[in-house]
Amino acid sequence: MRILLNRIRENFFGSKLDVILSITGALFIYFVLSIVISFILNSDWTLILVNRQLMLTGLMPEEEIWRVWTIFSLTAILITTSIAFWFNINIKGSIFYILLLLIPFLIFTTKNTLLYVLFIMILSIVFFYLGYRSKNSESKNIVSRIIVISWIILLPICFLILNILDGPKMTLWGGFMINLILAAIAIFAGFPLGILLALGRASSYKLIKLISTLYIEVIRGAPLVAWLLLAWFVLPKFLPNLFGLSDLNIVVRAMIVLSLFASAYIAEVIRGGLQSIPRGQEEASFALGMNSISTTIFIVLPQAIKIVIPTVVSTFIAIFKDTSLVFILAITDLLRIGRLIPEQQQAFFGKSIESLCVVALLFWVVSLVLSQISRTIEKKLNI
Amino acid sequence: MPSSLFTQFKSEDSIKKKLNLLFRNRIFRRFFIQFVFGIFLLLLFFYIVDKALNLELGFGHLNSRAGFGLSHTFIIDYNSNDSRWMGYFAGVINTIRVSLVGIVLATILGIFMGLARLSPNFLINKISTGYVEFIRNTPLLVQIIFWQLLLLQLPHISKALTFGGLTVFSNKGILLPIISSNENGSLWTLILFLGLIVSLILRSRLFKYKEEHVDLFSPNLISFFTFVVIAIISFFALSMKLSFNVPEVNVNQYGTYIQSGGFILTPQFAAVLFALVLYTGTFITEIVRGSIQSLPKGQTEAAMALGLNSYQRITLIILPQALRSIIPPLTNQYLNLTKNSSLSVAIAYPDLFMVSRTIMNNAGHALPMFVLILITYLTLSLVISLIMNIINLRVTRIGA
Repeated sequence: MRILLNRIRENFFGSKLDVILSITGALFIYFVLSIVISFILNSDWTLILVNRQLMLTGLMPEEEIWRVWTIFSLTAILITTSIAFWFNINIKGSIFYILLLLIPFLIFTTKNTLLYVLFIMILSIVFFYLGYRSKNSESKNIVSRIIVISWIILLPICFLILNILDGPKMTLWGGFMINLILAAIAIFAGFPLGILLALGRASSYKLIKLISTLYIEVIRGAPLVAWLLLAWFVLPKFLPNLFGLSDLNIVVRAMIVLSLFASAYIAEVIRGGLQSIPRGQEEASFALGMNSISTTIFIVLPQAIKIVIPTVVSTFIAIFKDTSLVFILAITDLLRIGRLIPEQQQAFFGKSIESLCVVALLFWVVSLVLSQISRTIEKKLNI
Repeated sequence: MPSSLFTQFKSEDSIKKKLNLLFRNRIFRRFFIQFVFGIFLLLLFFYIVDKALNLELGFGHLNSRAGFGLSHTFIIDYNSNDSRWMGYFAGVINTIRVSLVGIVLATILGIFMGLARLSPNFLINKISTGYVEFIRNTPLLVQIIFWQLLLLQLPHISKALTFGGLTVFSNKGILLPIISSNENGSLWTLILFLGLIVSLILRSRLFKYKEEHVDLFSPNLISFFTFVVIAIISFFALSMKLSFNVPEVNVNQYGTYIQSGGFILTPQFAAVLFALVLYTGTFITEIVRGSIQSLPKGQTEAAMALGLNSYQRITLIILPQALRSIIPPLTNQYLNLTKNSSLSVAIAYPDLFMVSRTIMNNAGHALPMFVLILITYLTLSLVISLIMNIINLRVTRIGA
């Protein structure tokens, strides 16, 4: 008891400045918390209950929803397996993750989809156990390879599921799903392109270096909204009139622009990693008789990428947050739906702030989980 | 290409061997790869130019009448009869205005929150952590819209909150009292600014003189005194009158409420500003925290041993050293803030991006407008980088 009192005194009332700071801090926390809690208690949240389907998938027709849930279950299984396999799980951390990830489930689960959710949960637990078991088994390397390959082919499979058997038109995709898909595509296409650009910028070939630098600096020079506007007004006029390329739908155009935009930022991140690799590594590999291409692929790049993984994850978070900017292309993403509900549904007129809070919460949960993962990787790799 | 390249061939070699030798030559390979790449680029370039020539090019349409009004103008007095160029420049000035104020406020907020994040005081520490974790992980656009919705929820102007008649809070904006003056005010401000520069130069000169010669006077006091003298003399020479301008709300004969006086923060401007400052502030907080943490702990301990108090420790020992590693990433955040100000298009604050979009919608010519936007943002970025580089040079020189 005495130790506790001493600690409180040292922590809060160590000096005159501390006393003032503690009191203002306490008042500030009380003020903010009282506003937030009274807002939560006094608002009507039926808005979410009615519109959760809309928020998740936008205008997608009811009979196509199974596609979305299939994708969700695949992703959930992969995530749980990788967490069980790669991370050292402690109880405190996993409770935190579970609580956070419950929020989207609580928001999105309806009576019709309850079965899906239960199914996903059971499958996830089974795969979690499998991943945990194979962590120390003999087939460790094979399992590791399988997980990596499935991460790589996850996105193409998702696309297949969305389009197979006469799927809905791309312009009908919407809601939180499209934010996730756009972000995934941007990172999936932007990462290899970013690696090429970073290598180009570090290259000794003058022309290639010049072009890569120019590309990176120009893309980073203007804000993303401007590039998206370019995709809206100008891009169709520059595409060749082959295979119906000239009238690409707006979602694909947004994907192209986001990937090109992401690649410039990822290139800068990877360049930092390339620069931090000591020159001796390259020289040693030349001394072993490797040529410059295999030196880059097998010696320099793996080390550089390993160093920059946390930064790449934060770039990914930034891109994920930036997908909310597709409002300018009139794509019905989560933010746009969140703004349209209080404007168009009579029952929820004037509930803009509540609706926006739900949108912010969803973005926040996903970004927070991603940044926690990035921190875990950073600790694990010991950078 | 050096002549040795061809001398290594022997006439009896087969063509296959010759080619093989040729490609093993480093200089030839470099030349060949860049040549192929260059041809590919050239083709792409011609293709793009060919397509671009079919579009509307040229900036001629910017000379004609704009035909749209702007809700916010600053310095430039723009109305819808002016040319589109004028509208564009009004937009550029709006962007610069919100970015400049945002940069200053975000830096202050970031430094305080960064220090708070390292504070041993539990409450302060947790406030800072909560601020960073919550604001950084939500999209900026959501925040901008949130602030605008919140500011529009303020009471109608007929029931404005006045807080003892000093301010007016309503959904038409926030009015704050300012000190205003007669028509010589801007001239006086200019003189004050020049006086400040003169006294700062004087101060550094005096310090140098003091180091070399005698230790008889205080340069700080003398330069401050010079500044005060300049201010007072110019004040009376211009016959200045200062008054306290308090905002007020009146009802005219039609029953319309009119707000007048004071300094006005419109909901749009305030929303963009708050969101930009809070959002960029989180990143600056993390930069400041990282830089201070990377300093050796011995610096703080040595400062404590010298008997410096906590304020002196921070301002004299910690921050000057941390600044060296703070400034390069800080520059990046300033650039981000400037570019992010384009998101104000979502709530109709007429920055340069929104004005360009209006012009594109009205007059077409999307490609040249786009080039203009790109050039403007690149220029703004260059100016910021240049200023920050100068500051960086100064900061790194002090410690060296």
